[in-house]
Amino acid sequence: MYITSSSTISYQPTFKNKGFSARLTALQQNGALMEPDYSENIAPMDRRRMSAGMKMSICCMLDCLAQSMITQPEAIIVGTAMGCSLNTKIFLEKIHSAGDGLIAPTSFISSTHNTIAGQISLLLKNHAYNNTHTHNSLSFEHALIDASLCLNEGCTSALVGAADEFENDLYNMNERLNLPQIVEASGASFFTIQSKINTASAIILKAVDVCVLATDLQETTLNFLESNQINIHSIDLVLFSQSTNHTSEILERIFPHQQKINYQNLSGTYFTNSAFALHFACDMLEQNKAVKSVLILNNLIPENLGLMYIQKEEIVG
Amino acid sequence: MKIYITGIGDVSAIGLNAEENFNSLQAGISGIKKSAQHGIMLGEVALSNQEICELFKLPAYDYSRSTLLGLLAAKEAWKENTSIKEIKTGMISATSIGGLDKMEQYHFDSLNTASTTSRNKMVHDNGRSTEKIAETMGISGMIGTISTACSSGANSIMHGARLMKAKKLDRVLVGGIDPLAIFNIKGFGSLNILDPTHCKPFDDNRKGLNLGEGAAFLLLENEHSLSITKNEALCALTGWNNSTDAFHQTASSTTGIGATITMKKALEQANLSTSDIDYINAHGTGTGNNDLSESSAFINVFGDRMPAFSSTKSFTGHTLAAAGAIEAAYCVHSIIAQKRLPNLFYKTAMKETGLVPETEYSSARIRNVLTNSFGFGGNCSSLIFSQL
Repeated sequence: MYITSSSTISYQPTFKNKGFSARLTALQQNGALMEPDYSENIAPMDRRRMSAGMKMSICCMLDCLAQSMITQPEAIIVGTAMGCSLNTKIFLEKIHSAGDGLIAPTSFISSTHNTIAGQISLLLKNHAYNNTHTHNSLSFEHALIDASLCLNEGCTSALVGAADEFENDLYNMNERLNLPQIVEASGASFFTIQSKINTASAIILKAVDVCVLATDLQETTLNFLESNQINIHSIDLVLFSQSTNHTSEILERIFPHQQKINYQNLSGTYFTNSAFALHFACDMLEQNKAVKSVLILNNLIPENLGLMYIQKEEIVG
Repeated sequence: MKIYITGIGDVSAIGLNAEENFNSLQAGISGIKKSAQHGIMLGEVALSNQEICELFKLPAYDYSRSTLLGLLAAKEAWKENTSIKEIKTGMISATSIGGLDKMEQYHFDSLNTASTTSRNKMVHDNGRSTEKIAETMGISGMIGTISTACSSGANSIMHGARLMKAKKLDRVLVGGIDPLAIFNIKGFGSLNILDPTHCKPFDDNRKGLNLGEGAAFLLLENEHSLSITKNEALCALTGWNNSTDAFHQTASSTTGIGATITMKKALEQANLSTSDIDYINAHGTGTGNNDLSESSAFINVFGDRMPAFSSTKSFTGHTLAAAGAIEAAYCVHSIIAQKRLPNLFYKTAMKETGLVPETEYSSARIRNVLTNSFGFGGNCSSLIFSQL
């Protein structure tokens, strides 16, 4: 499957900024979401009503479809660990202050995990397959696996995205991740996935897999490479996230000669930041001639592993 | 490749296991009653968190009700099966509330007092309950969680089946879970769609839905898996589809366009015609909007040859992300027992459509059963189960 467009809004200058992967510096504690001017894409009433996660998603999704010149994707699939958690918090606060009184349903309606995917179908008037995966740090990888199933079943295009909002009143990320220093962030990334392309070069997503409750990181990674016929020496770059140094120690053993980047230092921490990493990798492949293939290893939660492998393909003839 | 159902587990207001659920369906006894805790009509599961924790020897504090209800249902469906290297095994669960019962408790505590302990502030993300259940069953690897509001349970079953079709799995535990929490009780209350009495699906005088809670899991296996486990196949999952209404964030279109597309495509996928369907377990929430939209879709698909249909939400209440899975388990029962399932509290046909649901637990030839689940975001799913 081919990745024919990517779009990300994050704490970094990623939106409509080709070549950003060469220019990013580590995210600092005082970072903030770099939102574009939404007035181009989102009506004033919707801008007031929609949460950050929703606005980022709508904007990235429209950018993606425009880039790949697709008006109606044949599947819409979103990965989000916590859904629209800001609206969840707002509704809980309304319950608390209302006592037995009436509560407006707006924030409840917009709090379900599939609000984003549902809103996209409404905006596009799209009746196709629509799903939302919500398995913590692997939500995005699950969405990509779902897209690969859709393409196998005959779809020619799928819109796949991920979004999570920074929200620390409801839960404490670090309780799950156990990171010594954490820069919590928000982000949304969308991608158009297609079964066929008509350009001279393309980015191909060769393999994506998840392993939940993994006992052996090294074995799981090697199995992934073997079962997808990926030669270790053909990998130019490894992007990874980790919650203990154990991950980077194992990566040093498996990939002693490859460049390795901890993408979490760039994206900040949110459950679906592996989607940021995929866009970062796509940008690298487009801009940097020395990089022809990238392995993304998501080990944000110690026992959960997400793996993606992408490469640049020159189409001959 | 055929997808066989070899295990079912079912926890709802009408039973703590599949057999109790089926007995209640036969006896025509609804599990919906006025809740002592919440003061409204609810389909509550008759076990407290503490009681379920004791059954599984778990510390009471750390687990959301989703995890606990899910454990009960998953254990019943998984039975004594074990992890076997030769069988690629996975688990796909579904929930809309996840651990929000725990998170709302923390948030309300923190709004009331300044002294909440950080222990309460765990990330009860949806995947957490799936992982605890998978770990207890001894399943690892392809484990996922789906959340598409009230169609989640059906989408989890469908996703498991698709992973098997794509040869990524030989065997998968699929299902859905949702507990009652203040969040969903107040949320559906704010939409003004709760019937203060028993819900009356497909009745002209219906006033809304009753919320319920529960969990159900099905074990799906292919022939390779069956040849090793020697489990008995109960029936087959032959059709599935998910399509979108694209009409409104919460309401369904009166023409039922999304539901029409999904039923038609599920039939196509199962390679069946409308006359092959002998019973439909409807989404049938009892709201004015859903039952009209779904009835319109029935007429669009089946015309004047409408099969027997009913909504068992009159027994369980609307169990949200669990509904699609609980009702899938009822479809399996319908095929095994060769019975149509009743729709309680129905009196008068809807004037717009005149459709009359089944009101008796009655014997019939049941070859194929279709079940619908619709959720917020216009998310429409249909599954078809077939006799072997």
